[in-house]
Amino acid sequence: MQVYLPIAEMSVDALLLVGIGFLVGWLSGLFGVGGGFLLTPLLILIGVPSAVAVASGANQTLGASVSGLIAQARRANVDWPMGGVLVAGGLLGSVAGVQLFALLRRLGQLDAAVALSYVLILGVVGALMVMESLRALLRRRRAVPARMHQHGWAHGLPFKMRFRKSRLYMSVLPPLAVGFGVGVLSAIMGVGGGFMLVPAMIYLLGMPTAVVIGTSMFHIVCVTAAVTFLQAVQLGAVDIVLTLLLLLGGVAGAQLGVAMGGKLRGEETRALLGLLVLAVAAMLLWNLIATPEALFTVGRAAW
Amino acid sequence: MVRRLLFALLLLAGLAPGARGDALVARLSSERIAVTTAFTGESLLVFGSTEEPIGPGGDEILVVARGPTAPFVVRRKVQVLGMWFNGPSARFEEVPAFYAIAGSRAAWRLLPEDVRQERGLGLDAIPLVSMGARSPAFRAALIALKREAGLWQEEAGEVEIAGARLFSARIPLPSTVPAGAYSVEVYLVRSRRIVATEFLGFEVARTGTAARIEALARGWPALYGLLCVVLAALAGWLGSVVFRRG
Repeated sequence: MQVYLPIAEMSVDALLLVGIGFLVGWLSGLFGVGGGFLLTPLLILIGVPSAVAVASGANQTLGASVSGLIAQARRANVDWPMGGVLVAGGLLGSVAGVQLFALLRRLGQLDAAVALSYVLILGVVGALMVMESLRALLRRRRAVPARMHQHGWAHGLPFKMRFRKSRLYMSVLPPLAVGFGVGVLSAIMGVGGGFMLVPAMIYLLGMPTAVVIGTSMFHIVCVTAAVTFLQAVQLGAVDIVLTLLLLLGGVAGAQLGVAMGGKLRGEETRALLGLLVLAVAAMLLWNLIATPEALFTVGRAAW
Repeated sequence: MVRRLLFALLLLAGLAPGARGDALVARLSSERIAVTTAFTGESLLVFGSTEEPIGPGGDEILVVARGPTAPFVVRRKVQVLGMWFNGPSARFEEVPAFYAIAGSRAAWRLLPEDVRQERGLGLDAIPLVSMGARSPAFRAALIALKREAGLWQEEAGEVEIAGARLFSARIPLPSTVPAGAYSVEVYLVRSRRIVATEFLGFEVARTGTAARIEALARGWPALYGLLCVVLAALAGWLGSVVFRRG
């Protein structure tokens, strides 16, 4: 069934979009990640313009994360003050990110910039995940106890605040910076940024794992909402028809993925996810370095 | 069958040959193309009649359809550090988003070069003023890419002649046809001179839900942005409730 996407200005098979939503939702449920990093490249691959793919990807991530946030909030797994500081940074970051996005589009470098940031971020994160899980697998065999994480480098910074839930007394600057960075990437890549936020919260901020997921979901929901709004106002790039079709498949896929994820856990899962992330990065890198079929492109002038 | 139908149409429109004594009469099969969510393209029929017989040595017909104009940018990819980025670009003002020409013979065989260039008859005669990169390759690329997309057509439709005085031409409009006001010019050419012209027009309009969404996104972007946030959140929440129960 062909459906016309009013903002992307193209006709696509509705079932294809629901299918992509289902696949991404399934993988995100299976691995416990947002899945935005798979969604945006897939949309670009089927011909959705980069700007629309990123903006609608952020909008879809918002929808996909809402129910998770509600569930986590009900179990009191959200550190609201810490989340508030992260979100404050994230909102500033999303504003900055959308400005950068608009600038790149004016310069005609948007497609390459989106692809390149994906290659860099996914390459690094994927490699770290694979290495980390391989090390953990080896460690499990040798039964060497894990080293305690040391932090304290941030203790000298001003504007300290007490975060009861996270049992932390620290400066607000590191969480603001983390929120800001993830906000910028969220605006440029159309992702929630959970795959960067969660490690940053554990290793950089030293938050207890129990509240990390819930608090990161709070950040993701707020920042993707801000990115959706800003992208719609400033660039007119959010396609609600695309978003809703993706969510239709995504919500169903996520439930199935969560159910199956129970059987597949631990370091093996992380290694598999890392390989998947690396594969997406490699595919995007290939698109950047392969000689393009057409040297010239034409587009409506954006200014 | 088609001929008979055409003739019936002409009679209905009061355009039968000699009925009004005009050298050239032409009409369009439709004056409004509605682009709905399920639009996959359509073809428009230009038809009419002449006083004198059409054919070699006699009158010739030339049909041109032009869409709304917009500025376009052509970019050339260049390799930097082994990766391909957009490099130099040329900006073209007032590029017709759609252009189709059909004739009883090719335009360059019917008219002198200066007339053809002046009236913009033929893909190589479309007036294109560019800013930025100066290489003629950009202009050639613009024409090639527009042709590839089916938005600029030179050889697509031949003008069909029926009974020496009736003519018809089909203008295929692809699914990507932009909305706006279109003009159609029909020229009657005799001995390399334009002796009569008919100016017609039609409108391509987006209708239905898709058009309403687009109008909202353009007219009230803040409201549309809020709506996108609320709808996505609602859909995500609703979906999880439904699927958890089921």
